[in-house]
Amino acid sequence: MPETTQLSNLFNDAGVWGALILACVGTYFWRGLGVYFSGKISQDGEVFKWLSAVTYAMVAALTLRIILLPVGLLGTVPLAVRLVVTGLALAVMLSSPKRRMVPALLTGTISLVLYGLLVH
Amino acid sequence: MNLKKEVLLEGARDALGTPAAVLFAGMLGFGAMGKANGLDMWLTAATSSFMFALPGQVVLLEMVILGASGVATALAVTLTATRFFTMCLTLFPQFPQKHRSRFYYVLVHFMAMSSWAVAMKDFPKMNPEKRLSYYTGFALVCWGVSTPATVLGYLIAGEVPTYLNLGLVFINPLFFLLTFTEVKPRGNRIAIVVGAISGPLVYLWQPNYALLICGLVGGSVAYSIDKYLRGKQLA
Repeated sequence: MPETTQLSNLFNDAGVWGALILACVGTYFWRGLGVYFSGKISQDGEVFKWLSAVTYAMVAALTLRIILLPVGLLGTVPLAVRLVVTGLALAVMLSSPKRRMVPALLTGTISLVLYGLLVH
Repeated sequence: MNLKKEVLLEGARDALGTPAAVLFAGMLGFGAMGKANGLDMWLTAATSSFMFALPGQVVLLEMVILGASGVATALAVTLTATRFFTMCLTLFPQFPQKHRSRFYYVLVHFMAMSSWAVAMKDFPKMNPEKRLSYYTGFALVCWGVSTPATVLGYLIAGEVPTYLNLGLVFINPLFFLLTFTEVKPRGNRIAIVVGAISGPLVYLWQPNYALLICGLVGGSVAYSIDKYLRGKQLA
């Protein structure tokens, strides 16, 4: 019955948009709460040092999770390949005390693309 | 709110280099991912405009594909966004107190990990009076390129070969990893190492709460080690 399918598609779409709206509200919640409390914190205090450490630990955990345990397309690349590519990029970055961001980014990205070209 | 136009444009110009290019590539990859998984184009683009948090957007997309309930999806996304709370707590106190206004509640939506990371690195070298204007220009450019990039990624999804898409989805996490090598304060460096090691491990055990656990526990451990070392130096 095509009508039922259309109707359930409509409900599905509404559900997805609902999830999107809730997710946007949830994301903004943390941003707004952060602004609210930020007025009570001095950038020279110990609390600021602690919060900086907490934030860096959080973003480092997220970044390494995405590289080591990716979901989706990146997950189709073997872990060993991801590690070698990441290592190459880091080596280029650290090869100069002034830090070579653009060459390092290009090294990592191009070598992963080359791997993809060989496999696909 | 007293933004200086020249400083704002300076921030915008600096963002238009690597930071915007990396975000553009990441959002291009996300748009293509949305198309490949049969998501609506408007919905895919809306996540970039109104959520503007790539890891959260990826979680949303995955859970929608898996057919998870709206509430479960929103909860998982909200948990990945916890980082914004402490990112704000460490960014906004660096603006002079007299610049504080309701405008912060608008500006905060345009915060991304890239603009935060650049601010944390460059603010100590920058005149505090210039910081708010500079950051506003910088963050707006980062946000501004994201939605067009998502739409473009969605539209060209079929034409882009998989091997190029691989590069697009990889460039974002790689960029963040590389920025970590530029972090100076010792406590933050220790925190990065602790978070990097514990992040994937804790994720295997508690996928939803991993970031919260690693941040609070790992960050506190790093802070304590740094404080201990500071005490030793004085003694």
